[in-house]
Amino acid sequence: MTRFTSRREFLRHSGITAASLPFLMNLSSLGWASTTERRKRLVVIFTPNGVVPKSFWPDEEGRLESLKQSLQPLESMKDKTLVLHGVNDKIRGDGDSHMRGIACLLTGIELYPGDVQGGSHTPAGWAKGISLDQHLKNLLQADPTTRTRFGSLEFGVMVPERADTWTRLCYAGPNQPVSPIDNPYLMFDKLYGQVKNRQTVASVLDSLHEDFAKVQGYLSAEDRQLLERHAAMVRQLEQEINLEQQAAEASQDDDQDVGHAVPEITAGVERDNDNMPQLSKMQIDLMVNSFAADFNRIATLQYTNSVGGAKMRWIGIDEGHHALSHEPNSNDEAMDKLTKINQWFCEQVAYLAKRLDETPEPGGEGSMLDHTTIVWTNELGEGNSHTLNNIPFVLVGGGLGFQMGRSMKCKGTPHNRLLLSIAEGMGHPLETFGNPDYCGDGPLTGLNG
Amino acid sequence: MNERLFPPFPVYRSAVTLACGLVLTVGLALAAAAAEVDLERGGEIYADRCAACHGDQGQGVAGNFPDPLIGDSSIVELADLITATMPEGEPEECVGDDSLAVASFMYEAFYSETAQQRLIPPRAALARLTAEQHRQSVSDIFAHFMGRADLKSERGLTATYFDHPGWRNEKKVLTRTDPNVDVDYGQASPGEGMEDERFAVYWSGALLPPETGTYLLRARGQGSFIVKFIDTGEKLFDNHVSSGEMAEHVTTVELVGGRLYPISVDLIKRERKTGNVDISLTLSWKPPRGIEEPIPTRYLVPGWAPTAFAPQAPMPPDDRSAGYVRGTTISRQWDDATTAVALEFADALVSKVWPKYVKDQAKKKDAPEGRDLLKKFCHELVEVAFRRPVDEAEMQRIVDDQFEATSDDDEVLRRVTLLTLKSPRFLYPTLDGDASVEHRRAGRLALVLWDSIPDASLREAADKGWLGDPKAVRERARRMLDDPRARAKTLKGLHEWLDLDRWEEISKNTESFPGFDEPLVADLRGSLDRFLEAVIWSETSDFRQLLQADWSYTTDRIAEFYGESWAPTGEDSDGRFSRTESDGAVRAGVVTHPLMMSALAYEDASAPIFRGVFLMRHLLGRMIRPPADAFSPLSPDLHPDLTTRQRVALQTSPASCQSCHTRINGLGFTLEGFDAVGRLRQEERGQPIDATGNYIDRLGQRIEFAGAADLTSYLAVSDDVVAAFIKRLFLHFVKHPVGAYGENRLDELQTSFLESGYNVKELLVEMAVIAADGPVPPPST
Repeated sequence: MTRFTSRREFLRHSGITAASLPFLMNLSSLGWASTTERRKRLVVIFTPNGVVPKSFWPDEEGRLESLKQSLQPLESMKDKTLVLHGVNDKIRGDGDSHMRGIACLLTGIELYPGDVQGGSHTPAGWAKGISLDQHLKNLLQADPTTRTRFGSLEFGVMVPERADTWTRLCYAGPNQPVSPIDNPYLMFDKLYGQVKNRQTVASVLDSLHEDFAKVQGYLSAEDRQLLERHAAMVRQLEQEINLEQQAAEASQDDDQDVGHAVPEITAGVERDNDNMPQLSKMQIDLMVNSFAADFNRIATLQYTNSVGGAKMRWIGIDEGHHALSHEPNSNDEAMDKLTKINQWFCEQVAYLAKRLDETPEPGGEGSMLDHTTIVWTNELGEGNSHTLNNIPFVLVGGGLGFQMGRSMKCKGTPHNRLLLSIAEGMGHPLETFGNPDYCGDGPLTGLNG
Repeated sequence: MNERLFPPFPVYRSAVTLACGLVLTVGLALAAAAAEVDLERGGEIYADRCAACHGDQGQGVAGNFPDPLIGDSSIVELADLITATMPEGEPEECVGDDSLAVASFMYEAFYSETAQQRLIPPRAALARLTAEQHRQSVSDIFAHFMGRADLKSERGLTATYFDHPGWRNEKKVLTRTDPNVDVDYGQASPGEGMEDERFAVYWSGALLPPETGTYLLRARGQGSFIVKFIDTGEKLFDNHVSSGEMAEHVTTVELVGGRLYPISVDLIKRERKTGNVDISLTLSWKPPRGIEEPIPTRYLVPGWAPTAFAPQAPMPPDDRSAGYVRGTTISRQWDDATTAVALEFADALVSKVWPKYVKDQAKKKDAPEGRDLLKKFCHELVEVAFRRPVDEAEMQRIVDDQFEATSDDDEVLRRVTLLTLKSPRFLYPTLDGDASVEHRRAGRLALVLWDSIPDASLREAADKGWLGDPKAVRERARRMLDDPRARAKTLKGLHEWLDLDRWEEISKNTESFPGFDEPLVADLRGSLDRFLEAVIWSETSDFRQLLQADWSYTTDRIAEFYGESWAPTGEDSDGRFSRTESDGAVRAGVVTHPLMMSALAYEDASAPIFRGVFLMRHLLGRMIRPPADAFSPLSPDLHPDLTTRQRVALQTSPASCQSCHTRINGLGFTLEGFDAVGRLRQEERGQPIDATGNYIDRLGQRIEFAGAADLTSYLAVSDDVVAAFIKRLFLHFVKHPVGAYGENRLDELQTSFLESGYNVKELLVEMAVIAADGPVPPPST
């Protein structure tokens, strides 16, 4: 809840003081938790304002033959893709559709009454329950064989700097929204800050020795002893850092340890609407790195917020996303733009899938995508009607063990059941999740073929 | 009043030549006025009969009597002890003139404090910044760039009320100073001119923590609220989205005493379609060793305050084995902590200070741009941290080299920060051999009075050579004393003087003393602190008031427990604490304060020995050896007919105890009129209280006391008390023994203190003036 600098945050959350940092950079003790069980990862990608049904949903159930325009970027991945139509967010109660759309999406439960007032419906507060990503993270972290350094990471791209029901996807518990980190530099700092710090410290030690040598001259023999001891401590620190670097280099030479290298990050990209493509790529690259280093098994990536108003000028669209999404189906130009917007989002999903597919699973079989399922979703089915029916769920990758390369029509099944399926796929079957009224028949049937 | 058993001994100074040829100035107390004491003979007897067990210089002999023979008993007391006990098993072999001769020899050669100072001259060993000084210093480097709020005398928070659920100037209803944030409006509006359904209140100002440590902060309320703290741009608690139910946000944070941390609170009520709701909000804290309560008004300062820096990386505790906190030891843990703080600071520089600097400089004409501006910023950073101008070669190494090494500006800032904050020049403030006299003085004044670095004004004074003569330094010190950092450091020094830090927890038997609970103890702490500050920061700053004042500060809770004489008068009130009436029967300064009396007591009974040891060691500054063994106090249940005094007398009656306990008990018994919680009592176990006692001073003079009032009257003017107070405060403020600053410094301070009418503020100023010129180099041998 309290946020200071990210580094301090990190120290506090890890419970590790600077004094015990030496080997933290490699994190070998916390990473690579499981060597016996097949590693499974889950990524949830959120994009806002619904989709254009006719340019999004495959016409037929069964094998994915061809993809509509919005899903085109996944063409080369269609064997690894599963499109679920007919999954409805049935959670009602307080809050407008955008609010419930995002806040009930992963929690599967109603919102508390509150004073966040949208354009319609009643005002509302935060969600009444934990979100599935956080719940699974807790379960994974409770088990020493699946425990990782962070458990989960919450990425964002251009999420507004305000905390309200429209801007929060993840919940650590009832009334406990989790803030995504939408600044790649802060995320980098969270992941690699200490390593970077050690490198910076190492870079100044020679100069510091000079400093010590110079001031020795001002001192009496008695006082010099204290300073000499201090200088010896600085030398000790230097030796430790040297050892760490040797170890880090050694592990980089080892194919199995690809994740331990500190990635390069482009400097100076401002958090700005027009930089969204770069920010998105940076965040995805960091996510792939964090998975490779086994810092976490769960990640969420939230683009803007529900009602998000990104202006995608880089694909020739000057209007805000949300304003466009209110246009009726009869407005072909708007529908075309909305299709393109979703196509751009789909490109981001495809880029992540591609990166994971190119990266061999560290210490395992196949690619990292074989061990990861990306769930791309949205707070609405359709922007102009604000419907919570037919919430887009496009899954990519083999992490959950579902049968991929298909289009399924789920005919109005409550999305709580899909949440149960995801939990089951991650190895933690649940009886119910969120509001039990919508969990009646258990996990969705047919996902495994 | 003080009936003296013995007439004062004649005291004279004489030069006595010893066999070894050393010339000594000695002060002798002689039993027989005219008798010449034969030091030579004393030395011979010592060498013959004592040295084998005690060492030729009284340094002790392992396996025999390892403890060094040092102390502050008078020669007569020493002679009496030798007559009674030495040589071991044959005390009759050294009596009368012989024992007096041996005692005199020992006193002059090694036993007395003067002899010890000669044998081992006190020196100011190289010391690093203490954890407190380190935190203050980095916080002030930050403040150098970000600005500092003025400390006004007004307390509370600035409150602005709006007839609108948000800040809108035309809807402003009023602005005023509120005591704190502790409101419960129910479903109504905060006041006239605002609707029940919608309004906004903004509180702003700063938090002024009284001491360094971990603070818990909690916001609890119904409604939409946001709390910002330390960083004016960052939300500490965000309850912007409210469910109308009670919400609670809590965190802990490390804060430094005497610093201002900006705080602001927004409380907003928006109209709801679903009906009216309750609005309430309380912002509370739990300070170190305190209880949780709404933040008291006196720790809130209204108005504007800039973003502050509060380092959170833990620092290992400093050495305080000598009774005061000092930075004479280093450890790997400490070195790592300085790295952690430097990195934390570098983050703050990159994210907050540098962007603001760029903005500020953009307004200036001819300001450099780009990397040149960054270089200028780095140069300023180094000089502020090092407390002096830095020569070109050093700047090249610390700053310019980094620009050449990397093109990443953030990385430059990090490296420069590390090289600066890890430099011995920053960490060891007295390592200033290359600085000008004026800069040295400025650095030391800031260190002594603020535990920090010079501010802009002090730096300017040094740059311009305004600190050339002692008068200017004294004037400067006087001004520097009027600063929250100096005040916090003074309060801490008084706590050390009273040994208050030892009693983390004071608890009593709940059956015997119902109502003596944690909140009451917290109020007592508050009462004592308010009293100490009221005396010190008053016009006269009269030390004697600390020991004699018949008034104090109280709360309703204290009055309820301690009765009528502790009723609040409403005078000098801060909302919770206010002054008591004068009542000399109940109160005499700090000594009889209920906090001290209950700390110096057992759960069920008073503890004359604790009280006596405290008075001896802390107030009178006398040395007492620890007891030969660990003893448990005799159980009152085994001696149901005996009073506490009688039990203590019984237990300490053996001869082996008496050499110390005659001194300890004589003082401790004078406070028997105060029970285990410091309540006045007339009798114990059916017997009237006997609070008579006595004290034998350094010169062997015995003073009799009829009770606590006699005792405190004596203490207030006792040279021993004054000397002990000065020595202890000097250690606390300067971190080195006063003797290291010149042989006669203690005497000089004592004289000027008396001449100023026991003015503590002036004493602190004089200490700072002495410290500003640094210790005298030890005599070369």
